[in-house]
Amino acid sequence: MTESADSLESYVRAALTLQGYRFDETQIAEIVVQFSRLELIAQTILHQPLPFASQAAPVFRP
Amino acid sequence: MRQINQGARSAASVLCEVKQLIEARDPPLNCFTALTFERAQREAAAIDALRSQGKPLPPLAGVPYAVKNLFDIEGMVTLAGAKLNASNPPATADATVVERMRRAGAVLVGALNMEELAYGFVTENPHYGTTRNPHDHTRGAGGSSGGSAAVVGAGIVPISLGSDTSGSIRVPASLCGVFGLKPTYGRLPRTGTYPFVNSFDHVGPFAGSVLDLASAYDAMQGPDALDPACAQRAPEPICASLSLAAGTRIGILGGWFHEWADPTARRAVQLAAGALGASQWTELKNAEAARAAAYIITGAEGGALHRPRLIERYEEFGPAARARLVAGTLIPASWVVQAQRVRQQAYREAMALFERFDLLIAAAAPVVAPRVGEETLQINDRSIPTKAGLGVLTQPISCIGLPVCTVPIWPGLDRPALHRPGSERELPLGVQLIGAPWREDLCLAAARSLEQAGIAQVRLP
Repeated sequence: MTESADSLESYVRAALTLQGYRFDETQIAEIVVQFSRLELIAQTILHQPLPFASQAAPVFRP
Repeated sequence: MRQINQGARSAASVLCEVKQLIEARDPPLNCFTALTFERAQREAAAIDALRSQGKPLPPLAGVPYAVKNLFDIEGMVTLAGAKLNASNPPATADATVVERMRRAGAVLVGALNMEELAYGFVTENPHYGTTRNPHDHTRGAGGSSGGSAAVVGAGIVPISLGSDTSGSIRVPASLCGVFGLKPTYGRLPRTGTYPFVNSFDHVGPFAGSVLDLASAYDAMQGPDALDPACAQRAPEPICASLSLAAGTRIGILGGWFHEWADPTARRAVQLAAGALGASQWTELKNAEAARAAAYIITGAEGGALHRPRLIERYEEFGPAARARLVAGTLIPASWVVQAQRVRQQAYREAMALFERFDLLIAAAAPVVAPRVGEETLQINDRSIPTKAGLGVLTQPISCIGLPVCTVPIWPGLDRPALHRPGSERELPLGVQLIGAPWREDLCLAAARSLEQAGIAQVRLP
């Protein structure tokens, strides 16, 4: 397993625990595969420098 | 569809015919998950009572239609394609758009199959079965509104309703060869529909003709205070003005939209562009980024929606959806914020394009309908998983909320030698007619123009 795959799996395991999921190893392996796909696609936009002004602000009207 | 309004037929006789069509044509397709004949009989009787009294009839008087099973129907459980919703209490009222269709005189005949929880572009539902393509039963109908597209493509009803988060109206409309409208984000109210991704969810109609599509769209327009995303705009009816003005500037989307279209999809675009007199190519440079943003936001919002039940009832979700949904709940907030920035950036780029063009065109699906169970699509020299890949050309557009009318093109249309039964060329492929926000009128006018030219057409199997 490469270092980045290892750290991705570690992240998934930690985040699952934090969120209160309890899965067996087969289920965790499926989720790691799915999260890897999300991570791969996220990488295409994460390093794009974009201005703060382009961030949509959720509108809250008390 | 207009025979009742013109006095030629009763709503009851039309309903009777639709019941026979369902019996004859639905079993191999699996479009319906529930029938609502009792209600349909009441609605048809109300129309016939008006008719016999000589009173004016509403615009969709007696027109049979059906809805994706994520729309609330009073007295029925709203499944959204998920077995774990089957134990929910029945809806206490119709979804707003179903109520508006009823007021317009339409007759609801049933609820339609869909991808589980609307997460995917094929309707191979692990609980309620696969919906098959009316033009080739070995192929899928597309998704997530597969039942809604197939039921119109099979000629069972003239109109149906579906929803589109990332392409779920446009992809199945493309694969089943029918007209589909994804309006501007916020145009039609979603109140009483089972949500998926609040930031992207749209509802809209499918139909066998542009006039039927526009009639259903007109019937459903108007503000709704119960849906915070629904624009406070008065209805802007377009049925009476479906003609494309001379000089309409139409651009053909290249770049991402050309690269991810196979030769058949490119041919469909070429046919539509030729008939509309469009020859200028342009590009939405942020298309790939917009698709990525749609993916991230969809994963995060869709996952968060279902998280409590993913913790408690994971095994009751279908195998294709559950691991994807859980993975979505793990997406870091910074990714979502960046995706929202990308969305704005792509929107601004599109608005700049609309200073040069009134309409943009692109294929609605990268390939014709894949075979049921086909896990990988081959698009030019690249492979991509079918479930995600079918939306590659629709996701960048719904990410920025633009209105789109998908029109059914038959890429072998002007090549009769290739147009033989059973050949790949016999399958339809949709083209997206994309407008600036709130310009559904232009999308539908262009669709009508293609329909009148015989380029866009619904063919019964």
